[in-house]
Amino acid sequence: MKAEQPRHIGARIQRFEDIRLLSGLARYIDDIRLPDMLHATFVRADIAHARIVGVDSSALGDLGYATWMFTGEDTAGLSMKAHQDYPEMQYSEQPLLAEGRVRFVGEPVAVVLAEDAYRAEDAAEHVLVEYDPLPVVGTMQQARDPALPPLFDGWTGNVIVQRQMKGGDLEAARAQAAHVVKRTYRTQRQAGVPMECRGVVAHYNPGDRVLTVWSSTQMPHLVRTYISEELNLPESRIRVVAPDVGGGFGVKGQVYGDEVLVAWLAMKTGRPVKWIEDRREHLIASIHARDHEHTLEAYVAADGRVLGLKADITVDNGAYSTYPFTSAGEPGMVGKVLPGPYDLKAYEATFRAVATNKCPIGTYRGVARPSAVFSQERLMDDIAVELGMDPIELRLKNVVRQFPYKNVLGFTYDEGSYAQSLEQMQTLLAKDIAAAEASRGSDTTRIGVGLACFIEQTAHGTPDFTRRRVPIETGYIAARVDMSPDGEATVDLGLQNHGQGLETTMAQVAADALGIRPENVYVRHGDTLTTPYSVGTWGSRGGPLGGGAVHVAATRLADKLRAIAAHLLQAKPDQIELADGVASVRGNPGNRIEIRKLARAALRNVDRLPDGMTPGLEAHASVDGPRDGTYSNAVHAAVVEIDVQTGKMKLLRFVVVEDCGTILNPLVVDGQVRGGVVQGIGSAMFEHFIYDAECQPLTTNFADYLMPLAPEIPDIEVHHIETPTPLTPLGAKGLGEGGAIGPAAAIANAVASALQVGVESTPLNANALWALSRHIRERAEA
Amino acid sequence: MRPASFEYHRARSLEHALELLAEFGDDGRPIAGGQSLVPMMNFRLARPAHLVDIDKLPLAGIEADGPTLRIGALTRHEDYFGHPLIAEHFPAILDAVHYIGHPTIRRNGSTGGSISHADPTAELPAVAVLYDAEIVARSASEERRIPAAEFFLSAYVTALEPGEMVVALEFPLPPQNSAGSFIELGERSGDFATASVGISIEHDGVSVVRAAMVCSGADLVPIRAPEVEALLAGQPLAAPPAAEAGSSFAASIDPANDHIASAEYRRALIAQLTQRAIVAACTRALEKS
Amino acid sequence: MTEITLTVNGIDKTVDAEPRRLLADMLRQEFGLSGVHIGCAHGACGCCTVHLDGTPRLSCLTFAVQCDGATITTVEAMGGALAEHPLQLAFRSEHGLQCGYCTPGFIMTLAPFVDDMVAQRRMPDDGEIREAMSGNICRCTGYHGIVAAVRKAIGAGLGKDA
Repeated sequence: MKAEQPRHIGARIQRFEDIRLLSGLARYIDDIRLPDMLHATFVRADIAHARIVGVDSSALGDLGYATWMFTGEDTAGLSMKAHQDYPEMQYSEQPLLAEGRVRFVGEPVAVVLAEDAYRAEDAAEHVLVEYDPLPVVGTMQQARDPALPPLFDGWTGNVIVQRQMKGGDLEAARAQAAHVVKRTYRTQRQAGVPMECRGVVAHYNPGDRVLTVWSSTQMPHLVRTYISEELNLPESRIRVVAPDVGGGFGVKGQVYGDEVLVAWLAMKTGRPVKWIEDRREHLIASIHARDHEHTLEAYVAADGRVLGLKADITVDNGAYSTYPFTSAGEPGMVGKVLPGPYDLKAYEATFRAVATNKCPIGTYRGVARPSAVFSQERLMDDIAVELGMDPIELRLKNVVRQFPYKNVLGFTYDEGSYAQSLEQMQTLLAKDIAAAEASRGSDTTRIGVGLACFIEQTAHGTPDFTRRRVPIETGYIAARVDMSPDGEATVDLGLQNHGQGLETTMAQVAADALGIRPENVYVRHGDTLTTPYSVGTWGSRGGPLGGGAVHVAATRLADKLRAIAAHLLQAKPDQIELADGVASVRGNPGNRIEIRKLARAALRNVDRLPDGMTPGLEAHASVDGPRDGTYSNAVHAAVVEIDVQTGKMKLLRFVVVEDCGTILNPLVVDGQVRGGVVQGIGSAMFEHFIYDAECQPLTTNFADYLMPLAPEIPDIEVHHIETPTPLTPLGAKGLGEGGAIGPAAAIANAVASALQVGVESTPLNANALWALSRHIRERAEA
Repeated sequence: MRPASFEYHRARSLEHALELLAEFGDDGRPIAGGQSLVPMMNFRLARPAHLVDIDKLPLAGIEADGPTLRIGALTRHEDYFGHPLIAEHFPAILDAVHYIGHPTIRRNGSTGGSISHADPTAELPAVAVLYDAEIVARSASEERRIPAAEFFLSAYVTALEPGEMVVALEFPLPPQNSAGSFIELGERSGDFATASVGISIEHDGVSVVRAAMVCSGADLVPIRAPEVEALLAGQPLAAPPAAEAGSSFAASIDPANDHIASAEYRRALIAQLTQRAIVAACTRALEKS
Repeated sequence: MTEITLTVNGIDKTVDAEPRRLLADMLRQEFGLSGVHIGCAHGACGCCTVHLDGTPRLSCLTFAVQCDGATITTVEAMGGALAEHPLQLAFRSEHGLQCGYCTPGFIMTLAPFVDDMVAQRRMPDDGEIREAMSGNICRCTGYHGIVAAVRKAIGAGLGKDA
């Protein structure tokens, strides 16, 4: 059935959830307080690799208050299993509490509970763990050294998995090439670091045998499934609630061992149990990301056409595989996306994950693509330098222009605006490019302009996960829409909202379909008791798939409203228009009835319904992603000024031209883009988890792990091109992650342009930029 | 990340605070704004058994006392802004205070707290060393004036004895024809510096008569640069040998090589900051003349 | 335990406080003020900012016992349940928040800055606005909407549309 004309989709509506968040009335995980609750504190490994000789908790008895203590012996057999179904993959399991051996600093060894959080922390200090240290595997090189002992019994070496993907004739490309450009690029270990740490509260009611788990998670249904499988409980008796969640960025898009453990503790102790992660724990033991090295070799024709690309990709995965995206997820994603927006005919990627004694790697906004795009777009600039071409012209020569386009690996790109966005950016940057060129002679201050052109596969459908044989398994999002007798609508959404504005945008979508106002739609989410099973909010799927599911469900409900209206107004259903709270007959607007009266007829005055119509106003829909997803595209550009003598860099300008298809709410879209960009600026300039040679983390607080602060950041300019996709119900493509994907590449390219030097790694902090400026200082001295 | 237990004592007077600190010795710590101490306590890196709260004692204020500027220990960082005596006589202090933390830290953090915490690249310890300040320390039994150059012993280690606390800083007022500057570089605004340099000069309108220089980031405590000071004396304000001063000072130091910055970078950065601070101070001197 | 009396959001209350209890925890647990958020517990993110005797203070670096007799204001008292303080309204219209976790800290840090600028009858430049929030970390917005909200709130106070 045809949708109504959009009235609210695309409108710049202020967010409904803001009132709760601004007033202090929001409820985050630490605001969950239950009677008789116990507080848990972990005893964590303070040595990166060791055998556990013993755990001495005898001092707990002298504390003078009640404590509970559990170790891996108590939870033996319970673990996090994240196995991708690749025959050659070396599997690891992370026990909920370490069993016999620790493999990174921060790994939970024991858990201590007390009736007060301060006392639980005191008590944990009284648990003494004796270790027998083992040699650490600290770097990618060490992990690939077969002489070093494996991290897990039964493993051969520390390469977890190594695979290949390829398409086209690489040998032919190499033979035709006028230039071969080979470079190695490196991005550093970092993480999403939401302002709210993680946390879990659990309560078991033996009366109805219901386990309730509150967790600061992006994926409550998957937490429920995992707990059910691991603790062998019926999933129907587990309720997982994600309350207000203070940022996720992928860090909370994983199932963690502590979520299972806190549930287990609540059942074991018979008391509600709460664990709130502290910031140090978050920085050392919640997942890290983006620890990549890529060696790329491009075969380029004399005119700048890139004929073929060979890639070798290594990701330092840390100690364990994380659920549900596994240790093969990051390197596999790089292999998949490196062809990018370019019309490449031959490609071969070898990718591997290696294990080290560091915090495990998982998802962070963009998932491998910030690193992949860093390499891809640094390579394009390095090719441009090698060929003496303008970097924008080089890209324009190579970008895909005909859609749909089947890429070298067989993925189909839907309609995009790759060339158009490059051309628009070229115009926007004209003055900056001139200023940069004028600064080339300076020995003191250089200006640089750099850009990153990229696509992002978003809203991946089930086939994409099936192909990867990854435990996430599926990609659909479901929604249920119902209307109560007063005409107010409720959307129960399988997504979880942690800043994306879903309580507003999903109301806009439902309102358009139902012909009511967004204010009359109550969007509920994050609670498995009330929401239909879905995989949660990650992978830039909220708008295209969540919005799609709401649209389809609400349209089904609207069809019933139209049928009732047609009966009562003596018209045909396809003559009925729903708008502004009223159903009217097209062409005869005086013939009308309020929608709330239709709702009352459907639910209370059911004698008014057409013969044979079932009472009730409720519809369910699930929307899966397209086979290859839908491809958003963007060009990011940075303008930087570098003090050649000190390495201090100032970001003068950051500009985005992006295309995410149909825009549901421009306020929200701009906010998502800008927030992502500033995270990307952190990746480019500041953020770095550093380990010493013994794998001790050196960046364990906010004085050492440096996230962008307001003074370092310019206004972020955002320009939109709207190319709706035919592959999702509303034409929307995903946009939640894109902002974070381009900045490292754009800023590195700006630095390369300013200093006229190759840039191979991030972060580009003052020390790094000073080192990259050396040739300019030496020239000045000479 | 919550502190270990301690006993809390609110001091009714300075004398009361000193009695309490004498009683607790090594187990006692004064607390004012808590901006440096409490983070250490929350990480349980500091665990004093007794905290003596001096926050409300009348130890704040910036005033001239003859040839001396006295800054009370509870003077907050933001109180330095717009203070006429600081602006007139101590341009390097005014520059330095702008680099301290963020507005909320500057509002609550105290002078005595920063001096006692002795972070190796904190701003107030650096300017205290630059301007030959004396740290006035009191215990129940005596009052000592410790020259700043002797007060900072190592990173986070000072000459304070158990039972002693900082009650004031005393800066000798520079002569009329003085100028100064303070420059630092950190990764982000408000971060502790990678390095900083402060310069103070006396001049005759044309040349430098006497110079002082301090550097943080070269060592575990802020250090003076006597060779640079000697080199600058007698040099023209319009063309001081700033680059030479910077490189000769940089050659004389042995900075740390760590995960924040390489020793090579620190040395080069300090040379550059030295050069810029000298030029800035001399330029100000000429502008004022 | 030490008995202390705090005036919180206009209401006097006497409570027993363990000396080490952080003001943030005291406000959250004894006063039920869940708008006080702890982001780092080491004074580096600004999430826990409240007003102590009228000026911004990091409640994670303050012991409740230090506040005996003091007046404390939290975000709950700024604009009520509907968040109607002019700065809160501006945060909403300019999209100065996403997940909301850092937001109360930003409001408490910036409201006095807005008042100060309005009292001085001037519109600060972007650099000053960004410096005023330099002790607060927002991981969602990229600060763009927050800067715009501050500008708008000051503009409203100055009696013109910013």
